[in-house]
Amino acid sequence: MVLRIVCDVFFLIGLIFALAGTLGILKMPDTFSRMQASTCVSTLGTLGVCIGGVLYAAIGMHSASAAVKIAVIGLLILITNPIGSHVLARGAYKAGIRPEKKMETDDLGRDFDE
Amino acid sequence: MQKTKLPAVVATFVVCFAFWILLTWSFSAQELIAGAVVSLCVALFAARFFIHKKAGWLANPAKFFSCLGFWLCIFPVELWKANVNMAKIVFGGCKNVNPGIVKVPTAMKSDYGVAAVSNSITLTPGTITMEVAEDPQEQRNYLYVHWINVEETDPAKAGEAIKGTLEKGLRRVWQ
Repeated sequence: MVLRIVCDVFFLIGLIFALAGTLGILKMPDTFSRMQASTCVSTLGTLGVCIGGVLYAAIGMHSASAAVKIAVIGLLILITNPIGSHVLARGAYKAGIRPEKKMETDDLGRDFDE
Repeated sequence: MQKTKLPAVVATFVVCFAFWILLTWSFSAQELIAGAVVSLCVALFAARFFIHKKAGWLANPAKFFSCLGFWLCIFPVELWKANVNMAKIVFGGCKNVNPGIVKVPTAMKSDYGVAAVSNSITLTPGTITMEVAEDPQEQRNYLYVHWINVEETDPAKAGEAIKGTLEKGLRRVWQ
């Protein structure tokens, strides 16, 4: 019972941040800001659900195998996600996508655009 | 192209075999032998791509524990703070965003150090590393970071605000 509540709290945290990320993707003004919001989903959104899942699988189901697999999923997302978002953001910038509203500072444009 | 070295092969083999065990989670002799053979084949081919410098750096206990301490204590706190900030911005209606790209200097010298810092920055919501540049005269590396809410435009202060804590933790592991 206590375990169930603890797991649900972790799931809830994950879902709240996933909701925040999704709302951000829909409402943010430009490409790069939308990408920022999407990081919320892939970090605490997935991590919260993964931690809850690990606890439930390890203690509730007594299945070490399932718990380890969920932990590996979380770890792999943490390793691969930053590389993906870095390449997407860089590719978008190099392809000439700029926000409609002028950015506060744009050091990358200053140094690399001639 | 690098040559394949024995320590690199051993390190790659250990990583591959650990992943095999984690994914199968069965300890019968058959599975373990099959895993060892596959990991050895992968290690022989992939070691030169996977390991670029010293293979055994994580065997140093001081480095190992500061690495562990960083990923288990320092980084989750920063991740939580950044996520809460992001959620506040989004639930506040995305009104007060002030995005921009700032150039920040990093104290890291090695490839691994720069990669670790820039990936940690990208992983915290609100900041994405867009580009890494090296200044050959000053022997310094610079990161171009997209920041959702630019508070500082001065490079040193912006760097402190974006990655101060992260970099302090990572400096104990990489140079």
